[in-house]
Amino acid sequence: MRRRLAATLLVTAALLVVAMPAASGGAAACAAATGPHAALVVDTGSRSTAYCVALDAPTVTGIHLIQLAGAQHGLTYGLGFGGQAVCRLQGVGPAGDDCFADHPNFWGYWHGDGHGGLERWTWASTGAASTTVGSGDVEGWAWGAGDSPATHPMPPRVGIDAVCAPEAEPTPTPTPSTPPSTPPSVGSASGAQSRPASSAASASPTPRARSATPTPDDPSSSPMVQIVAAGPPPTPPAHGGVPPGVPIAAALAIVFVGAGLVRARGRKDVER
Amino acid sequence: MSVRPTQTFHPAAWIVWATCAGFVAFVTTDPVYLVLLIAVSWFVHASNRATTASDRSFRVFLIAGLVALVLRTSLAFLGAVVPSIGAVTSATIAFAFLEGLRLATILVVFGTFNAVTDPFGLVRMAPRRFHEPALAAALALSIAPRTIASVGDVREAQRLRGLPVSGLRSLPSLAVPVLERGMEEASTLAESMDARGHGRGRRSRYRPQRWSVAAIAVAATAVVAAAAFLSASIAGWGGLHPATAPIAWPQGDPRLLVAIALLATPGFLRTDGAP
Repeated sequence: MRRRLAATLLVTAALLVVAMPAASGGAAACAAATGPHAALVVDTGSRSTAYCVALDAPTVTGIHLIQLAGAQHGLTYGLGFGGQAVCRLQGVGPAGDDCFADHPNFWGYWHGDGHGGLERWTWASTGAASTTVGSGDVEGWAWGAGDSPATHPMPPRVGIDAVCAPEAEPTPTPTPSTPPSTPPSVGSASGAQSRPASSAASASPTPRARSATPTPDDPSSSPMVQIVAAGPPPTPPAHGGVPPGVPIAAALAIVFVGAGLVRARGRKDVER
Repeated sequence: MSVRPTQTFHPAAWIVWATCAGFVAFVTTDPVYLVLLIAVSWFVHASNRATTASDRSFRVFLIAGLVALVLRTSLAFLGAVVPSIGAVTSATIAFAFLEGLRLATILVVFGTFNAVTDPFGLVRMAPRRFHEPALAAALALSIAPRTIASVGDVREAQRLRGLPVSGLRSLPSLAVPVLERGMEEASTLAESMDARGHGRGRRSRYRPQRWSVAAIAVAATAVVAAAAFLSASIAGWGGLHPATAPIAWPQGDPRLLVAIALLATPGFLRTDGAP
């Protein structure tokens, strides 16, 4: 019985050990801009960014699209409810596992029709973990209040062709480890404006960024969308060390367990 | 009921302690806090357990906690079978594991409470008006340790007589004496209560247990610990719910670690002298 218990403990511990680095290390993203692509539009309310994301499968889930954008473009994100929901994008949103911690504000999830030209956003009826995103699709996330598509803010209207410019691929970069200081020009619409590289992902999520003017028929909803084209991933953010609380807690726990063992033995002697 | 517990803190102090410790486990999924709370519970149990029979109840609740942990974690793999639930990722597994750990911690806290307290002490201190609900609560709280103790006793007796004690076959021969003993204890309790004047509108208080300084300290420190976690939960500090996607190191806020250590107070004070 005791041995079986120990085995169960070992297995669960091993699971955790295996799971930890797999998630924190970041997946190896495909560098080439060929193959299936989808666009991901993130609107924090004050800033809109559109990412051209290379898919690693013919179809992926909405969650996986965000993970790919994180690996390829350094989009910071935090998932909640066991990785089934989106809590945090570009540093906006609750940090923990409860994605509705900042209610009424939350990340609204929208689908575009994804056939070039202008996107018509429709309110997503299912969670991002169970949607399928294929090549040419556009996915939108908008931060704000409102529980229905009528009241929740909508992402700016962009088209897949504006985000994933066909002539922009593949974009060669010298080394994946050092972000280029001058962004390669990615030809498409007006106002190609370069931005300096920044390691702070929440301030400027990618070295290759430029601004595009919104489509003329809907100027109010999207003042400016920062477009991030496809390319090799930047260096993953440096991993923070172990917080000091963890070893302190471990030491405390060992002390308490040890003291408990001493007490238990002492009492047994008394009872005898 | 056959083994009277040794003197311990005022039962209400234990209720406060268990409620606060359970609340702490309830509001967080941070393994740093939960594992420390399990260690503290074990220390409190080892220092204050009332009888050897209740030692079994702690172990049973510990095993139940482990079962809950394993079940909750394996439920995360359901997504591999039912695709609509969502993909199985390290994040979903870690999330399920942490939820299971929280459940296990609550069970361990409850097991500690069961092992250290005398449920019938609660009945004595309840006001007359609430005597019957208090009795029901005491019976409900004590049913697990009493059943566990009685299962252990019956199996020991069967083993001494050379009867098989394991396997499904032995279950009926185990259940009947356990149930019989439960009925016997209930009627004994009813008779003894009747003899002491319960249910007749008058009631004597035989050796009422007073709140000692130590019992007040136990309750006060537990309330402080729960208040710290309540404020962390409301104000959103302390990293009560570590992110699982991408997996980050869980936080161990020193203030909250101190709060959990405060819950070990009954272990340091040992039992107080009853009047």
